[in-house]
Amino acid sequence: MPKYAMVIDLQRCVGCGACSIACRNENNVAEGIYWSSKITQTSGTFPNVRFHYLPTLCNHCSDAPCVTGCPTKAMHKMDNGITMHDPDKCIGCRYCQYNCPYEVIYFNWQDPHKFWRDPQPVIEGGTSSPKEMAQKVNNGNGAPYSNPARGKTLPENRPKGVVEKCTFCDHRIKDGEIPYCVEACPADARIFGDLDKPDSKVNRLLGKFKPFRLKERLGTEPNVYYIRSYNPANYERTKGGI
Amino acid sequence: MKAIKIQLWYGLLGLGILLGLLTAYRVLVSTGFVLYAKTDILVWTMPIAAYVFFSLTSSGLAFVSSIPVVFGIKRYQPLEKRTAFLEIAVLFAAFTCLLLHLGSPWNVVYYLFSPNLASPLWWLGLLYGLYLIVLLLSFRKIHKAQVSRGLGIFTLIIAIATSTALGWLFGLPDARPAYNANFLAMYFPLTGFGSALAAVLLFSLAYHHFAKNPLSEGEKNLYDDLGRLFGYVMALTLVFFIWRTIVGGASATAVEFAGFRHMLSSGWYHLALWVGLVIPLLLLAMSSVRQATWGKVVSAALFLVGMFAGRLEMVLSGLVMPTGPKAEGQPPFASYWPTIWEVFVFASALAVLLFIYTLGERNLKLSEVSE
Repeated sequence: MPKYAMVIDLQRCVGCGACSIACRNENNVAEGIYWSSKITQTSGTFPNVRFHYLPTLCNHCSDAPCVTGCPTKAMHKMDNGITMHDPDKCIGCRYCQYNCPYEVIYFNWQDPHKFWRDPQPVIEGGTSSPKEMAQKVNNGNGAPYSNPARGKTLPENRPKGVVEKCTFCDHRIKDGEIPYCVEACPADARIFGDLDKPDSKVNRLLGKFKPFRLKERLGTEPNVYYIRSYNPANYERTKGGI
Repeated sequence: MKAIKIQLWYGLLGLGILLGLLTAYRVLVSTGFVLYAKTDILVWTMPIAAYVFFSLTSSGLAFVSSIPVVFGIKRYQPLEKRTAFLEIAVLFAAFTCLLLHLGSPWNVVYYLFSPNLASPLWWLGLLYGLYLIVLLLSFRKIHKAQVSRGLGIFTLIIAIATSTALGWLFGLPDARPAYNANFLAMYFPLTGFGSALAAVLLFSLAYHHFAKNPLSEGEKNLYDDLGRLFGYVMALTLVFFIWRTIVGGASATAVEFAGFRHMLSSGWYHLALWVGLVIPLLLLAMSSVRQATWGKVVSAALFLVGMFAGRLEMVLSGLVMPTGPKAEGQPPFASYWPTIWEVFVFASALAVLLFIYTLGERNLKLSEVSE
């Protein structure tokens, strides 16, 4: 059985956000929810400042606190290492959100794709309303651009009252495809593969560079690894001074 | 005149329950949880704080009722029946809050079909289910004047388990050290006991007032005794409260305590400290006030108000600081003020409690003392 992991090469990542857009399209992610996101920071004091960009997603931890806490096993581990969620068993207690140290789980506070339920046309008598358009394109099932393939393993659009998060595009993996954020990355900064194959691309990279994972001290054993860092800057050799 | 007052009272409670039903319809069926001031940062807010408040009070009431039933201290026997019934009424208030917090409460059936024994939340579900059954059985026995020490012991054990497991539930994530499971597993039962003593004083003295049933010498001594015990528990709570402040607010260096440090300047914290602990403790420290009925009623009411604020402060303290990707574009600390719908959750839970209690008080002779 494979054990899937992702390596994110921070030297290749240009911070374009294509991963996040691809994720939204592939998984029909609603407004206010971010399966694929980022942490940005600035360091230094003006004018000596630098911008840091760290892409984030569910870490699919081997010892996932969200799975430990879930009372009904709605949040569970699959044999391939993916942390998966079953909305049919979710009671909406949000204990997984409370337990997740990485803040990557979101709750559907209302029915998804609110904009596409708006009956008000942009121009009265001139355009159709968002609701009419969604109705004509896909019978009002979420956004008109909704991806039906997502519905293979999860509801195509998750209902209100349950949580959701990244699934490593388990529906694509099932069909022998890599996650869509990996596919869409123009810089090939995301590398996906099987940790149980010693010669897989991810294992090669983890053996070549010193990887780090987020909040490793918590012992959650994340399966998203980061390697290298983007920093083209150089500086004049110095010992500083008083 | 009395009948009109009773009808008005039931009407008021009915209105409270209707508000709860309306809230349930709006959040679960029509609009959704956007009606609450919850976000993906503040995932737990007033409904959970209210749940913690009521459920710990219910566990605390089990400690109070165990004084005569389990430990055999006879002079507390007049409290036995009322306390046992109050436990049930308060537990239903807790369930009301929980029901209005859950996003998909109908999926609770998976507690049975897909149990996760590693989850504190699953254990709490089991324990509260058992607790309700045992409470109902216990009360039935008391009502039939057949007090069962065995059931009393079982109730006490479950009450200890629920109140301490709630500490485990909050303290589970290592990522939120401001909720310390070891600390909360002691603090929760203690404060639950304090809330229960306050509730017993309030409800018992209210009964004597509204039933125009003056206190006998024995009853007066009992409530004085209870007032003294309440003062000791309050003093101990203040000691814990201060140590929590010192450890989390001054000596802890981990960034995760910043949320708690932020809450130290909030109104909720100061309400809990000054209104809930310092003022009532000062009142009870004065012998003349402690022995007066108004002194007990005021200090009990203040303690409960402060305790509720303290539960909310505690829930918010571990969540108020956004971290990771959810901190993107956010201020350093999330601000919180409950929406009217969250207030309705509390109001409806209180209405459920008072409705059940009023029915009991009017029909079940709660002042009756079993032999």
